[in-house]
Amino acid sequence: MQDELIMDLERDQLVVETSRPVPRALLSQRAKAGLWALRVFVVLVSLMVIYTFIDQLH
Amino acid sequence: MATTEAAVSPGLALPPLTEEDTARSWDRSRVHRARRHSKRWYLLWLLVGPGILAMLGENDGPSMIAYASDGAQYGLGFFVPFIPLLFAMAFVCQEMCMRVGAVTHRGYGELVLQRYGRLWGWFGAGDLTLTNLVTLVAEFISIRVGLAYFHLGSGVAVALGLTLVAFTLSGGRYWRWERIVLGMALFNGLFLLAAILVKPHVGAIVSSFDFSPFPGGSFNTLLLLLASTIGATVTPWMIFFQQSASADKGMTPDDVKHGRYDTAIGAVLAAIFGIGALIAGAALLSHDGLGIQGFAGAGFPRALAHVAGGAAGTVFALGLIEAGAVAILTISASTAYAAGECVGVSHSFNSSPRDALVFYAANVGVALLAAAVILIPGAPLLSIALNANVLATVLLPVSLVFMVMLANDKELMGSWANKRSTNRIGITIIGFVGLCGAAYGIDSFLLVVHLIGS
Repeated sequence: MQDELIMDLERDQLVVETSRPVPRALLSQRAKAGLWALRVFVVLVSLMVIYTFIDQLH
Repeated sequence: MATTEAAVSPGLALPPLTEEDTARSWDRSRVHRARRHSKRWYLLWLLVGPGILAMLGENDGPSMIAYASDGAQYGLGFFVPFIPLLFAMAFVCQEMCMRVGAVTHRGYGELVLQRYGRLWGWFGAGDLTLTNLVTLVAEFISIRVGLAYFHLGSGVAVALGLTLVAFTLSGGRYWRWERIVLGMALFNGLFLLAAILVKPHVGAIVSSFDFSPFPGGSFNTLLLLLASTIGATVTPWMIFFQQSASADKGMTPDDVKHGRYDTAIGAVLAAIFGIGALIAGAALLSHDGLGIQGFAGAGFPRALAHVAGGAAGTVFALGLIEAGAVAILTISASTAYAAGECVGVSHSFNSSPRDALVFYAANVGVALLAAAVILIPGAPLLSIALNANVLATVLLPVSLVFMVMLANDKELMGSWANKRSTNRIGITIIGFVGLCGAAYGIDSFLLVVHLIGS
């Protein structure tokens, strides 16, 4: 019964396999800088939206 | 990871199976039988789900109110072709999510965390939690608005939303959860029925496909319209949800074609039903946009009933209840997936609550928190509902960038990695969304601090 069940799944679908983390990717310095720039930009704009929201409440 | 291989080779020891594996295997056995016997329509039936739920879940309360408000203030014109264009954009993004989930069998949150580091994973989960909480409050408001038409109050809205969450979570099977929510999501078609009931001028609808008339008003109003309408079609929770749900459903690279059908069907239905809400709202145009002010009450459905008859108002109110209810279920699920994936514990509807405590607790907890907000006397519910989509639009570019990175990752995706054309479209979408969200956020802030005039 267990044989039949397991044949319907791919090996890397099993919980024992998906519990193992995938290898870390190596990001270039430029990619990291780009991601950080985007993150900082988005946080700043979000703070502006939240400030506007609070101001509209008053 | 990008190759397909059976879990067992002859002669090798069986890996240990969990309850989650068993449940998923039962679902997969039906897919394999359907494929073996060439039962095409049954196969499609088995494989649809994550795409339709992501798209129709995004036709939530704030979105449908946004579309109807657009119609009430500006009529048809620009938005009738703009909405399908946005859902075409959503299809490109969601197809990537589905493909990555089917090929890697892992959710978006855990892949970002494992591939690019805990910091980026937790940032993404943080974005998601914030936008989901705000949006969930708006969903409970939507249910409340719909119920107010039938003279029922906030308490009933809260009880209904939470009961649905608890009911769909009972059973410990992804398939069961998915089919219940899919059945509910099809009632998003009530907005199309509302559009038919207002007896629109068909010629006006057809002639509006040239994007005219363009909405007038101030630059800030235009930016708000763009940002909120974009936020009504693509949001961070859809990215988390569809990838994780595709993996939870047990999709594999063999299913990618049907996953595309699922996502396309969802996009088409969502666009049609969204236009339905727009057309229903446009019935209020000649009545000075009557009823929009009453969003925090029962203004909209009642205004529609006044203008187009009781049936239209009733159907629209029922549609708001459905839109809010389905979104509560899908958005809570996306929060649960993100929480389980980031903490690194079991995160599947195929696991029991005992084995996936964080997953189920996050699912219920975020809904409880949002429900509690609408019960607070004097809470700024209207402002929250109106700004929910805008915040999602502002935070969306980061999720999209990581999505494109994952979809291009040849180590993960192999031959299923993005083609160049998909990348060009994806980068254009990221640019467009980022520009609209940022422009509104910055312009509004500058207006509020009086650095620019309106």
